[in-house]
Amino acid sequence: MKLTRREFSAGMAAGLAAPALMRSAWAQGATIKIGMCVPVTGPAAEQGLWAQNGAKLALAAVNKAGGVLGKQVELVIEDDQTTNPGIVLAFSKLAAQSDIVAFLGSIRSTQVQAMAPDVIKVGKPVMIGGTNPDLTHSGNPWLFRFRPNDNYSGRVIADFGVTTLGKKKWAIVHSTDAFGTAGGKALTEALTKLGAPPVLDQGYANQSQDFTPVVLAVKQSGADVLGTYFTFENDLGIFARQLRQLGVNIPWVGSPSVVAVSSTKLAGPALFGTYGVADFAEDSSDTAKAFGKAYRDAYKTAPDNQSAWPYDAITILSAAINKAGSTDPNKIRDAILATQKFAGAEGEYNFDKNGDGLHGYNVVKNDKGKIVYDKHIDFND
Amino acid sequence: MDLILQLLFTGIGIGAVYALVALGFVLIFRATNVVNFAQGEFSMVAAYLMVVCVELGLPYWLSFVIALAGMALLGVIFNLGVYYPLRHRTYLPVIIATIGASILLSNSVLAIYGPQPQVLQGWFDTPGIQLGPVYLDSQYLLIIGVTILLVLFNFWFFEKTLLGKKLQATSQDKEMASLLGISVSTMIMITFIYSAVLGGLAGILVAPVLFVSIQMGSTIALKAFAATIIGGFGDVAGAIVGGLALGVIETFGAAYISVPYKDGFAFLVLIAFLVFRPQGIFGERVAEKA
Repeated sequence: MKLTRREFSAGMAAGLAAPALMRSAWAQGATIKIGMCVPVTGPAAEQGLWAQNGAKLALAAVNKAGGVLGKQVELVIEDDQTTNPGIVLAFSKLAAQSDIVAFLGSIRSTQVQAMAPDVIKVGKPVMIGGTNPDLTHSGNPWLFRFRPNDNYSGRVIADFGVTTLGKKKWAIVHSTDAFGTAGGKALTEALTKLGAPPVLDQGYANQSQDFTPVVLAVKQSGADVLGTYFTFENDLGIFARQLRQLGVNIPWVGSPSVVAVSSTKLAGPALFGTYGVADFAEDSSDTAKAFGKAYRDAYKTAPDNQSAWPYDAITILSAAINKAGSTDPNKIRDAILATQKFAGAEGEYNFDKNGDGLHGYNVVKNDKGKIVYDKHIDFND
Repeated sequence: MDLILQLLFTGIGIGAVYALVALGFVLIFRATNVVNFAQGEFSMVAAYLMVVCVELGLPYWLSFVIALAGMALLGVIFNLGVYYPLRHRTYLPVIIATIGASILLSNSVLAIYGPQPQVLQGWFDTPGIQLGPVYLDSQYLLIIGVTILLVLFNFWFFEKTLLGKKLQATSQDKEMASLLGISVSTMIMITFIYSAVLGGLAGILVAPVLFVSIQMGSTIALKAFAATIIGGFGDVAGAIVGGLALGVIETFGAAYISVPYKDGFAFLVLIAFLVFRPQGIFGERVAEKA
């Protein structure tokens, strides 16, 4: 057999390329990687741990059921330090690993906002828990939200307070970060629509050591109901205690942090009787109950939204990649957006064109330290 | 008027916390000429020690004693590990070492105890008393009381006792002090122990109000540092007055001007002092030491 020059070149090229190709095939072949930016250090390290717990629980279930595209799924965790520069750095570290197919971003709107420009550049799906409505409404096609946004929390708080509790003189207290500002705005808008514009709109800076001026402002406003958007549970704990000490005992309907596990523990009796909107309520559905049980079995503590949304995100993302049959970002995106009537721990997911999966909230009550499910309010628009 | 009294009480209460931590800053600065950036972490570590002891079921007073004894030990370790090896260098390496120690301390606690904030019950069972229109939080009352006692104690200790005078002599002129037979390194060791105990005391006192968390120390220390500059760096009375002033100013600023800019007022005052009176309220204008 005579070897032509062309055949010889082709053979050489194949021979030279083979190890490289094999190496890349081996690297791709082992697992499907999902990156996760999460606070391991900083003020939200506690919640970060729960988020990891939730994600890992879902991951174990996915892998047990055969994984994704026939491979096991692996979580690559990077510390976002609970800061905006921290998450930008964490995301860029993860994005540099080209074999990561999708990411879990933050539950904090301000952090999602910080990383959003890089998300567009990277062009891969990022699951988020931040509830500032703008995040999915400013033309970024790669953000998918696994919690209802604050348009809904504001509307549910307003609807519950005005219609169910029959209160019309509202004082709003909110953090001045992206989450708190947007939440306060959404609540004000919802209340105005219901004919009960707030009598006080009071912002505060995160990590305040003292809330006396805020409490006194609430007291002086003559409000008969309180609506809050607190970002950090220790701030909420200090505020709640001072509120009661200074004799303010009006009904209180707050954003999810009011009924979060750590707030309940820190504030104790100061939060008894408060209502909160909660994207996660263990008694709200069978899926939520099942998640709650699995979480308790695994971690010996009660779950809350911090762990429920990453759980849903991993579950739905894995299902979407399987449905897409590929790790191509655009195909994953289409598959996530096509997810409808999916029962998750947080509620029923019906993704809209903006990437918002959930469209309503549960209202729960702190009944002497126990969080009790009250009702679910969903909106169609 | 009711409002003003209520704000004044809270302002003084939170100011007293800053003052206690500021006192620790000042004592170490006087003795060693360096700022100890781990002072806030002393508060945090003590609060965690307290939580651990209380959770073990020890009585509150015993937990308190153990926590403070632990802080005294930490002061010794800190002196031997952070300051002593670098004592002949300029102030810069020492300051950097204290920053390193602060990172080590907070991350060690994070690694051992985890990131969950903890609840520490207050010293008293009653949360507070209603005095006319003003609500007095019992823990804040305790903090204010302890601060007053400490001011008196410091005055007596530094002005009336031999040890206090030796410490003063050391902080004023180490060479002269050692010529007079004072063991400078022992004096500095005592200063570190005292500062660690003071910082720890502040942490234990404030824990029932602010909760026990890894970052509790750094939040307070930042304000306490501002307080020391306002009061006049290196001045004990200045630290107390600076701390109280800062607490009152930020509380009233928040109530009457803007809540979100509360921290802004504290730092605005700091900047004003740095520009117009860098030596602080009580500090004397000193030229570079010859």
